[in-house]
Amino acid sequence: MLEIKDLHAEVGGTEILRGLDLVVRPGETHAIMGPNGSGKSTLAHVLAGRDGYSVTAGSVDFNGKSLLDLSPEERAGEGVFLAFQYPIEIPGVNNVYMLKAALNGIRTYRGEKELSAAEFLKLVKARVKAVGLDETLLSRPVNEGFSGGEKKRNEVFQMSVLEPRLAVLDETDSGLDIDALKAVAAGVNALRDSERCFIVVTHYQRLLEHIVPDYVHVLSKGRIVKSGGKELAFELEARGYDWLTGEAA
Amino acid sequence: MQVLGPILDRIEADAPGALGGRRSAAAAYVREHGLPQLSDEAWKYTSLAALRDIAYRPATSSDAQSVSAEDFAAFARGVETPYRAVLVNGHFRADLSTLGRLPAGCTVRSLAAVLASAPDAQAIAGLIPEAKSVPAFTALNTALLADGLVIELAAGAQLDQPLHIVAIAGSATPLLLTARIIVRAGAGAHARIVEEYLGTAADNSLTNVVTDLLLERDAVIHHHRLQNEPDTTAHIGRVSAHLGAGSELYTDSVVFGGALTRVDIEVSLAERGARARLNGLFAATGSQHIDHHTVIDHLVGDTHSEELYRGILDGRSRGVFNGKIIVRSKAQRITARQANNNLLLSRQAEIDTKPEFEIYADDVSCAHGATVGELDQAALFYLRSRGIAETEARALLTYAFAEQVVDSIPLQSLRRAIEERFLGKRAMSELTESLIQPCSQ
Repeated sequence: MLEIKDLHAEVGGTEILRGLDLVVRPGETHAIMGPNGSGKSTLAHVLAGRDGYSVTAGSVDFNGKSLLDLSPEERAGEGVFLAFQYPIEIPGVNNVYMLKAALNGIRTYRGEKELSAAEFLKLVKARVKAVGLDETLLSRPVNEGFSGGEKKRNEVFQMSVLEPRLAVLDETDSGLDIDALKAVAAGVNALRDSERCFIVVTHYQRLLEHIVPDYVHVLSKGRIVKSGGKELAFELEARGYDWLTGEAA
Repeated sequence: MQVLGPILDRIEADAPGALGGRRSAAAAYVREHGLPQLSDEAWKYTSLAALRDIAYRPATSSDAQSVSAEDFAAFARGVETPYRAVLVNGHFRADLSTLGRLPAGCTVRSLAAVLASAPDAQAIAGLIPEAKSVPAFTALNTALLADGLVIELAAGAQLDQPLHIVAIAGSATPLLLTARIIVRAGAGAHARIVEEYLGTAADNSLTNVVTDLLLERDAVIHHHRLQNEPDTTAHIGRVSAHLGAGSELYTDSVVFGGALTRVDIEVSLAERGARARLNGLFAATGSQHIDHHTVIDHLVGDTHSEELYRGILDGRSRGVFNGKIIVRSKAQRITARQANNNLLLSRQAEIDTKPEFEIYADDVSCAHGATVGELDQAALFYLRSRGIAETEARALLTYAFAEQVVDSIPLQSLRRAIEERFLGKRAMSELTESLIQPCSQ
């Protein structure tokens, strides 16, 4: 489904990703762990197509298409979703309007008919309950004045409406208390099925207690230096990253 | 303007009606002093050169018939209030207006009708200042004045629904449209008044309209001015407000239309406790030119003003914002806040923004800020990563920038006009309403 080969990427002239390889098959959840500055967030943004992250070598194939040739909105159309570490506040655009524009943008890309306002609202109301997001936040401006937990819940809510094929969660656990963490994890787990795949980027192991990955990879200096099963996360929790990043150096 | 000389000659020689003397004096004044030029400080960035060779003809009452009732239905689509006053080419159209059920103490009459009755005409003539004390276009307005609206609210009168003034420019040949709207709000009166300027496709008239707002003690007026003519017109507007003790004026100027638009808003906070909020939103594309000049004059102490103007400039358009705030020496304990934020969507677009403070008192709180920027790239990426195409994401963020100025406008029709300007027919308010209702069950 997703195949990343020898990926090199720069931000502001500094090489951050230095030959990253990763294969994610349908239904799999992969955790990307690593110390600060190892390139975790860069990987997430490169996959979503953010400006200013320039890929200098390598390839990213997603369901047979070269993801790197597509605009961010085309990637969303292909089924890529990035849950932001710091969701953006957009005063003046309400949450539900943005989401309708997004869903219809994706449907149009796929050659499907746009949903009517009534169909859309029915879907939204079902999903907002499932994620446990306060309904009044729907008609509020996107993320404006939301607490940290509400912002992350809103990301998962958007994900549940847009139903991506590949969801990349960028440090979704940062800044969450345990209740919010559990709620966010439950929202993610509800979406897991045999087709959909997840890349969970995190610094700490605690999110992985709730979103249990199939594979754990350790990123250091822009490359994957160790891969393993979910038990690797526990080992990292106990031993830290030094023994691995030392190995990589 | 080349055509102006003969027009003024005729008025000077013979201006009929109750305002005759004042009109011919104004004509003489305009002839002597001419229209503004770039060398005038207040017109430094706005050239009238493009209008010079257009063969304008002053509109007459027969030009009021150029829009049929059927044509009007299309314009009236968004007008939801029961109180409607319609001007076509500057002249009142009773048949298109709905003013029969105004509440007690509220009257709306055509200026022509008022001038036709001698005692009323005297009173109104007294409200029209001499040419030498007003800007040139207001003097020209006086010289050509024949019709408009006189809105009177008796002491304590409450206009329960907004009064929607629809002014349509509709002519196959270029007209010089003149109208004056006079609002007299008695002590403690409350009203919301919308002035909406529209035009038939490709109309290339020059509208020169003046609105006088007189607020007596504790009156509260909400005033929304929307210039949504086709981008072929020229539009010169001036709002001049005089605020009595404890009165409040909330006035918005929204400009989307016109090839060349100049709007002057002048507010005198003349007595203690007077309070004014001036909001403005202008959005220009192509080669449109939109100029706002505002003057807020704190004449006495304990007066307050707040001003927020936002401009959105695309294509090769140009925007001008000049916000002057005067604090007289007697005006202690006043507050004045001004902000002007501008969004440049193209490299060829230009904004000239200038705050101007003249402060002669010492116990005052004044603040101002002006910004010029582009769309937030992080927000743009966020929207695109959700699947929203770049053009639509840009439109949405542009709307968001505009929305903050107008979020206090409770009128669906105005909000719709603003949403349509940026979002096309995908009205946001509609979706939100349909959401809130089922969700609250």
